[in-house]
Amino acid sequence: MNLNYSDEQNMLREQVLKFCETNYDFIDREKILVSDSGYSKDNWKQFAELGWLAVPFKEENGGFNFGPIELTVLFEEFGKALVVEPYLSSVVMSGTVIEGSNHPEKVSIIEKIISGEHHVSVAYAEPNIGYNFLDCVTTVSKDAETFSLNGSKSLVLNAANANQYIVLATHENSPALVVIDADIKGLSVHSFKTLDGQTCGELTFENVSLTPESILALGNDAESLFNKMLDLSILCVSAEAVGAMTSSYMKTVQYTKEREQFSQPISNFQVLQHRMVDMFIETELTKSLMIKATLQLDSDDPEVGNTISALKVQVGKAGRLVGQHAVQLHGGMGVSNEMSIGHYLKRFTAIDSMFGNTQYHINKYQTK
Amino acid sequence: MDISFSEQDLQFQEEIRAGLNGSEFPANVREKREKGTALSKQDMIDFHKFIHAKGWMGYNWPVEYGGTGWSPVQIYLFLNELALAQCPTILPFGLSMVGPVIYTFGNQEQKDRFLPDILEFNTWWCQGYSEPGSGSDLASLKTKAVLDGDNYIVNGSKTWTTLAQNADWIFCLVRTETTQKKQEGISFLLIDMNTPGIEVKPIITIDGDHEVNSVFFTDVKVPADQLIGEEGKGWTYAKFLLAHERFGIAGVPVVKVQIEKLKDITAEFNDADLSKKITELEIDLEALEFTELRTLAAIAEGGHPGAESSILKIRGTEIQQRLTELFVEAAGQYILPYEGPEGFESNRTPAGPDYASPAVAQYLNYRKTSIYGGSNEIQKNIIAKAILGV
Repeated sequence: MNLNYSDEQNMLREQVLKFCETNYDFIDREKILVSDSGYSKDNWKQFAELGWLAVPFKEENGGFNFGPIELTVLFEEFGKALVVEPYLSSVVMSGTVIEGSNHPEKVSIIEKIISGEHHVSVAYAEPNIGYNFLDCVTTVSKDAETFSLNGSKSLVLNAANANQYIVLATHENSPALVVIDADIKGLSVHSFKTLDGQTCGELTFENVSLTPESILALGNDAESLFNKMLDLSILCVSAEAVGAMTSSYMKTVQYTKEREQFSQPISNFQVLQHRMVDMFIETELTKSLMIKATLQLDSDDPEVGNTISALKVQVGKAGRLVGQHAVQLHGGMGVSNEMSIGHYLKRFTAIDSMFGNTQYHINKYQTK
Repeated sequence: MDISFSEQDLQFQEEIRAGLNGSEFPANVREKREKGTALSKQDMIDFHKFIHAKGWMGYNWPVEYGGTGWSPVQIYLFLNELALAQCPTILPFGLSMVGPVIYTFGNQEQKDRFLPDILEFNTWWCQGYSEPGSGSDLASLKTKAVLDGDNYIVNGSKTWTTLAQNADWIFCLVRTETTQKKQEGISFLLIDMNTPGIEVKPIITIDGDHEVNSVFFTDVKVPADQLIGEEGKGWTYAKFLLAHERFGIAGVPVVKVQIEKLKDITAEFNDADLSKKITELEIDLEALEFTELRTLAAIAEGGHPGAESSILKIRGTEIQQRLTELFVEAAGQYILPYEGPEGFESNRTPAGPDYASPAVAQYLNYRKTSIYGGSNEIQKNIIAKAILGV
C-alpha cells in the first residue's frame, strides 16, 4: 500500500494552489459571482492553457489520461478557494458521459471541451422525482424513424452558458442519455442563481427532434454510464468539501488568534479550542473516506458504490459541523456576507443537497 | 402543584384568539404572513398599531405605565396565540428592552416623553450595544460620550444593529469615563437617529438580507437630559434589561407552529426518516416548554430567576436552528435555486416545493441565534459561574 501522492500529482496541486492565491481571493470571487456568466471566462481560458481541462480524458481523445486521484487534487484546491468555474459540469459530468459513449463526434466534442471553448451540462434532475434520477418523466419517443424529446429538467448546473446538454430521459421504460445543442428548436432554458452564488437552470423540451446519433446510450449502458458519472461527481464534490473544510478550520484558527475579547485572543478559551479540534478531526475523517473512494474508483473496485455513499454521508455531516462551527466562532462576522467564512457554509449546504443528501445515502448504504 | 390553566386563563385565551382572527387585523399583514413574504416597515407599523388598538401592546408592562399588568400565564398564552395566528414577532427593542429601563430607572419627564410613544408604536427603537471590538466582551465598549455643557458629544461606532435603517431612536451604551473596572464607566444614553453626525450603513448577512447595520457616530450632540439614571450606572441597567428579555426568548410557540408545518410536508412524502427527526425535536421542545413554564411560575410567585433563563436561550436557539436544518433536509436538492430578498428574478419560480428557498434562507439566517443576545458560549459561562459556582 502506498498512500502518497506522486511528484506529478503534487506539482498539479502546487499549480492550482498558486493559481488560486493569485487569481482567487474573496474580492476576485465576488466579482465573478455578479458577472453575467457567473464564472470567469479568463480563468476558464487559463484552466485550458494550464491543461486542467484535459485532466480526466483519455490520451486518444486528446486528454492526459489522468484518473480520479488527479481530479480530487484539483477539486480539493478548488474547494479551498471556493472556485466557481463550471469544471464539475463541463468536464467531469459531461466528459464522463461523452467519453463513455459511442457518439460519432465524440473526439471533436472532447477537443472543444479541452480547448475551453465549449460547455456541456448534464440535465439529470427533475421537479418531482427527488433523488431517483432514473425514474424520470422526460421522455424520448420514437415516431416512425424520428425521435423526439419531451418534458423538463431542473437544477442543471451552468445551464445558461452551455453549448450542449446531455439529457437523462426515459425511452421505452428504460433510461436513455441524449445530447442536444443549446439552440435546438423546442428547447427553452431558464436560469437561476444558486444559494452559493453559482447558476443552475431549468430546461423545457417541446417536441425536440433528435437524430439517431444524438442518442448516446440506452438501457443498461445508459444506466451504468450515468451511475459512473454520479460516482465520480460525488467524489469530486467531496474532494471540494475536504478543501473547503480545510480552509474553514484554518481560517477559524487564524481568526480566533487575532480576535481579542476579555483582553486576550479568544483562541485561549478551551471550549473554542475543542471546537476547532472537532473541525480538524472531521476534516481528516472525510479526507480518509475521500482517498479510499478515490483508490477504489481508480481500480474499478466493486465495493466503490458503498464507499461513495459512506463518503457522501461523511461529507454531509462533517460539512455541516465544520461550516456551522466556523460561523459560530467568527461570531457576527461569520454571518456577514462580506466575510468568506459564511460562503463555505453555503457551499457545504449546496454540496449536501446534490446527488443524494446525507439521509438518502444512509439509506442507500444500508440496503447494500 | 397543578398543571392546568384556570377557567379565567382559558377565557382570556379565547378573547385573544378572537381578537387576532377579527376583522381589525391588518389585511396586508395577514396576506403576506400567509404567503410567507417579507413584511415592509409599514406592515410592521400597521401590525403594532393593531396590537396597541386592542390594548395589548404593553403585554409585559405594569398597569401604572400603561401596560396590561397580565400574569406570566397570561403573557405565555398571549404569545402562544400570536404565533398560532402567524403574527410577526412584536419588536422587542422599544417594548421589552428600553421601555422597562425607562420606567424603572428614568425620571418622570423621561417616562412621560418616551413611554406613550413606545406603546403606541410612534417610535421605532434600535439597540446600540455591540461594537466592532466589543461583542461577547461587551463591557470593553469604546464609544465615547463627553459632557460639554448641556450636551454629550458622542463618537464611536455600533454594529449588528438590528433594523437601524427603520429606527427613529437608538438606546446606547457609551463610555463616559475610563475607569479601572471597565463596567463602571458605562452610561445609558437615548439618541435621536435624526441627529446630525449619525450614519447608518447596511451589513448584508449570508442569506442576502439587510437586517443589521453599522451605526457610526461623529461628534453627535446628545442633550444631557437623554441620559437614563446615573452616569456610570449603564452596565447595571443593561444587565437589568437582559434579565427582562426572558419572555419568549425560547421561541417555543413559533417553533410549535413550524413543526406542524413540517409535519404536513413530510406526511405528503411519507418520509419516515424525517418524521423520526421531527419527533425527537418535538420531545426536546416539550422539555423546553415546560422549563419555560417553570420559569414563569417562579416569576408569578415573585421570584427572580436569573441564570436559569440562559437555559431557555441556549436550548431555544438550538431547537430553532435544528428546525431550519430539517426544513432544508425536507427540500433536498430543490434548495439549490436561491431567491434573494427581492424574490426570484423575473418573478419566475423554480421547480420544487415552494418552501425550499425560504427554508435555506432561514437556515442561513438562524445561524445568528446562537451568536446574538449573548452567544451560547457566554450563556454557558453564566450558568457555570452563577449556578454551578465554578
